[in-house]
Amino acid sequence: MNAVIRLPVEQAYAGELQALARNDDRQKPAGWSLSPKAVLTYLLGGKADDGTPITPKYVGRRRLMETAVATLATDRALLLLGVPGTAKSWVSEHLAAAIMGDSTLIVQCTAGTDENQIRYGWNYAQLLAKGPSEEALVPTPLYRAMQGGKLCRLEELTRMGSDVQDTLITVLSEKMMPIPELNTSIYAQRGFNIIATANNRDKGVNELSSALKRRFNVVVLPLPEDMAEEVAIVSKRVGEMAGGLDLPVPKNVGDEIARVLTIFRELRSGATSDGKVTLKTPSGSLSTAEAIATMVGGLSQAAWFDGGKLGAEGLAASLVGAIVKDPVQDKLVLEEYLETVLKKRPDYAGYYAALNAAI
Amino acid sequence: MAQGEVSYFGIRHHGPGSADSLVQALQDLKPVAVLIEGPADASALLPLLARPEMQPPVALLCYPEDDPASTSFWPFAEFSPEYQAALWAVGNNAALRFIDLPSSARVAPLEDAQDAAADETGAEVETETAPHLRDPIGALAQAAGYEDGESWWADIIEQNPEPGPIFAAIADAMTTLREGEGPLAEFEAKREAHMRLEIAAAREEFDGPIAVVCGAFHVPALQATRPQKEDQALLKGLARRKSTMTWAPWTGPRLALGFGYGAGVVAPGWCKHLWRTRGRHDAATLWLAMIAAVLRAKGHMVSTASLIEAERLARALAVIRERPKPGFEELRDAAIAALFNGEAILWALVEAELLLGADVGEIPPDTPLAPLIEDLQRNQKAARLKPEALERELSVDLRSESGLFRSTLLHRLNVLGVHWGKLTDAGRSRGTFRERWTLSWEPEYAVRLVENLVHGPTIEKAANGRLIQMISAASSLDALAALVQGAITANLSEASTVGLATLEERAAHSSECLEILASVPPLADIIRYGEARKTETARLSGLLARLIVEGGIALPYAARDLDAQASSALVGVMRKADEAIKLVEPEQDVLDAWRNGLAAVLDGSRSTALVAGCAAHLLYEAGHLSAEAAAGLIARRLSPGTAVTEAAGFFEGFFSTAGQRLIYDEGLRGAVDAWLKSLDEEAFVAHLPLLRRVFSHLDSMERRRLIEAVLGRARRLPAGLTPTPDGGEAWRRHLDRLAPLLRGENDHG
Repeated sequence: MNAVIRLPVEQAYAGELQALARNDDRQKPAGWSLSPKAVLTYLLGGKADDGTPITPKYVGRRRLMETAVATLATDRALLLLGVPGTAKSWVSEHLAAAIMGDSTLIVQCTAGTDENQIRYGWNYAQLLAKGPSEEALVPTPLYRAMQGGKLCRLEELTRMGSDVQDTLITVLSEKMMPIPELNTSIYAQRGFNIIATANNRDKGVNELSSALKRRFNVVVLPLPEDMAEEVAIVSKRVGEMAGGLDLPVPKNVGDEIARVLTIFRELRSGATSDGKVTLKTPSGSLSTAEAIATMVGGLSQAAWFDGGKLGAEGLAASLVGAIVKDPVQDKLVLEEYLETVLKKRPDYAGYYAALNAAI
Repeated sequence: MAQGEVSYFGIRHHGPGSADSLVQALQDLKPVAVLIEGPADASALLPLLARPEMQPPVALLCYPEDDPASTSFWPFAEFSPEYQAALWAVGNNAALRFIDLPSSARVAPLEDAQDAAADETGAEVETETAPHLRDPIGALAQAAGYEDGESWWADIIEQNPEPGPIFAAIADAMTTLREGEGPLAEFEAKREAHMRLEIAAAREEFDGPIAVVCGAFHVPALQATRPQKEDQALLKGLARRKSTMTWAPWTGPRLALGFGYGAGVVAPGWCKHLWRTRGRHDAATLWLAMIAAVLRAKGHMVSTASLIEAERLARALAVIRERPKPGFEELRDAAIAALFNGEAILWALVEAELLLGADVGEIPPDTPLAPLIEDLQRNQKAARLKPEALERELSVDLRSESGLFRSTLLHRLNVLGVHWGKLTDAGRSRGTFRERWTLSWEPEYAVRLVENLVHGPTIEKAANGRLIQMISAASSLDALAALVQGAITANLSEASTVGLATLEERAAHSSECLEILASVPPLADIIRYGEARKTETARLSGLLARLIVEGGIALPYAARDLDAQASSALVGVMRKADEAIKLVEPEQDVLDAWRNGLAAVLDGSRSTALVAGCAAHLLYEAGHLSAEAAAGLIARRLSPGTAVTEAAGFFEGFFSTAGQRLIYDEGLRGAVDAWLKSLDEEAFVAHLPLLRRVFSHLDSMERRRLIEAVLGRARRLPAGLTPTPDGGEAWRRHLDRLAPLLRGENDHG
């Protein structure tokens, strides 16, 4: 019995990876443990050459995964862009696992990440004792990946400061990292590459400099295209989270999820679901993840304050919070949506009234 | 007996790949006769194609003499195999013929119902056929997972590992494809029978190799040996209708599938690129460079380094997809990832320009006939109007059928840039049932009509086409509304449908309050006076209601912190919109939304004073602000606490068109009076021009009554002030003396 909550995917899916590797005699780029074709099969599901079934890891457009794998097969770095909840990190982890058999060289970028965490740090005891030397260097995941010809993952690239981001420019274009203190450099081994993930429509992130952006091939992972698929994802996650928080789930939760998601999807896509009316889109991302948070907020409100009744009134505050990120522009968008669309839908009368009251 | 050896070249219509292979094959074969799938009775026009003045894209038009609206057309692009075959034949002195059913049989209505249906939708008359029949190679490509038939042709047919005759491979593929087929539709069977007979006749006539160029799908059927009698029996009793044929200039976009041409290609721009770069190894690079050029023209920064990366990615993608070289899809995906930062939406931005192209063809000036001129002559006859060079007045009664017909014709011609008739009572065209026109025909109008052939073969279709083009190019909402109004006035239903759809879309995306409000009056006009059909009226009033609501919501935000110019523009638009809204009488809640917007402007602390004044006036006129409330409001807005410029702005906004109110409304007058008295001399003098502007709307009678009202019954001015009885007269005298000085006429010294 394993006490670890979640194993790295190369261990969790070791069977599939082995099955794919077994008969994989197609040409492989330097340092890859699988051929690009087998990596695609691993991501999108199918059958290994020996007939072992492979579960799909990413459900969505095949073209995007092809572009991602092809990018890594050249020596270009890959940037996965998308709003929260579009499986960026998930794809990045599986890519690293399938290509290198190792998804653990990872830097979690935050506003507090500094250059020492990207390039290399110093062991100060050694530094004081011996002066600047190789032994006193503390390698980072990026450093190790360059040395070992591995894939390095940078999570939430845009969360760290622009000055720190830009240390990557030399690494990406010249495949080397200078260590001026030792008057030397390390040179990346074949197989080294970077997979970065970032939010493209989030607040509180640092814009990527165009110099850096130009060094990535960018794949934007979209939100689910299909309403039914998204409803299923939200229902499943809301059920799980409510269970975790010990919140009772009222019977009508399915209907409310459908209504909230309809509002989300319509505003997000800039058109009503019947395609008849075009709408303005708010500045927020209105992602699946936010729909989940809205529903959980509504459930919590219902359980603690509204006597277990889930309805438009309880959801309105979280809904407005999700939609109106910019107090002027987004409010205008929502007002217009309420007046031109929701007002005419009898089954949304509760939402119309509650949202109007909330803004 | 002469027995020509026949070779069959199954091509993909408008496929640059097959055009290239075809030219090579013809070069090898050196046929004495080239037979092309196309209307047999147009053979005489074929050599014109090879004239240097003929610049593709051009189209062969065939239409029944009495009904140009049901035109069939055969477009030819530079990369069309048929065009290249014709060029080759003329250049090599080979006989050149069309062998398909003559157009006289094609334009004859098969069933009346079909004809009517085509007219109803305004669609081009082109029999709807199954996709595999229309483009079997495209269908095969799609089955193989290709989005682009040309890449499939290049990868599969041309990269055939066992190099053999390409066209034999195509014929084999088509034979397999057609094996399981049931009998063809009657029309298709007749076409193939006709082609077989023509080929047989050519065999008798020519001694030497004969090349047959036809859609790949037909090859097996044309190769089959069938008793001629069967074919002749099939063609017996073919309906015929006298038809006219000519060449017309065509456009790149109209070659595309999306534009209603059945055998069109998905992306003419891509096909043209493939044709121009045939045999070159850097075709992919050139395509990426073209993408970069379009992007740069749109203001996006694209570096050469990114182009290199895009090309590398495209090659890697081709490897992953197991294709011999990057094709259309690989290049697109690579461009999105490496040039567009992953944003597929940016691709949509350049797509139309790249894929459709903006090519316009040219035809030799001495090409016989132009259907638009013929159509005009027919219409002139029906309208009983003669083109005369001398100006002539024409008054048209729109209530009579003939009057309406004339008016519609003239409006449509105006859309085409043929200003034969000019509307003399400018402004609202359908405000009354009478229109006055000045007619005068200029010879260059005939040339302009020929130019408009690009848009369609009849006046109606061409006007529709041209207006649709203008609509898609229109940049602002109000311009768009004016175009839709034009479309409805000229009774152009296609254009008005497209216009309305565009308008709805733009209306949703526009947050420019000025634009939204400016588009209200023309739309309101259409509803009030237009002869829009019922469905359109319903759609229009829905749209109008939405625009009014949107305008109402956006107004308070738009009214904030404006400079003098912007605020007076907004006020002008607001007044016009309000007038239009009152006239169309929308539903109460729509009206409320508008009034709420006005009220919000009035309440908003950041609203510009001029706009707030105007809003107050509009509310007051609508009865939403009682006389006492208005007086209170004005007193407050003009009270000493307010900055003088603010107060003046509010005053102007309220009274610039409502000076008369001061005569009758004591409350208002009192408030204004109090404000004027409170001004010190300097401020008063500074605002004199403003006061003059406001009161200049009053005539002398009203001015006198205002003075009486202000001074009460006493009709006595305070001491020291004497009203000039002939003030107006004195003013004119002063002006007369001032004007020459202002003009710089210095005759005094």
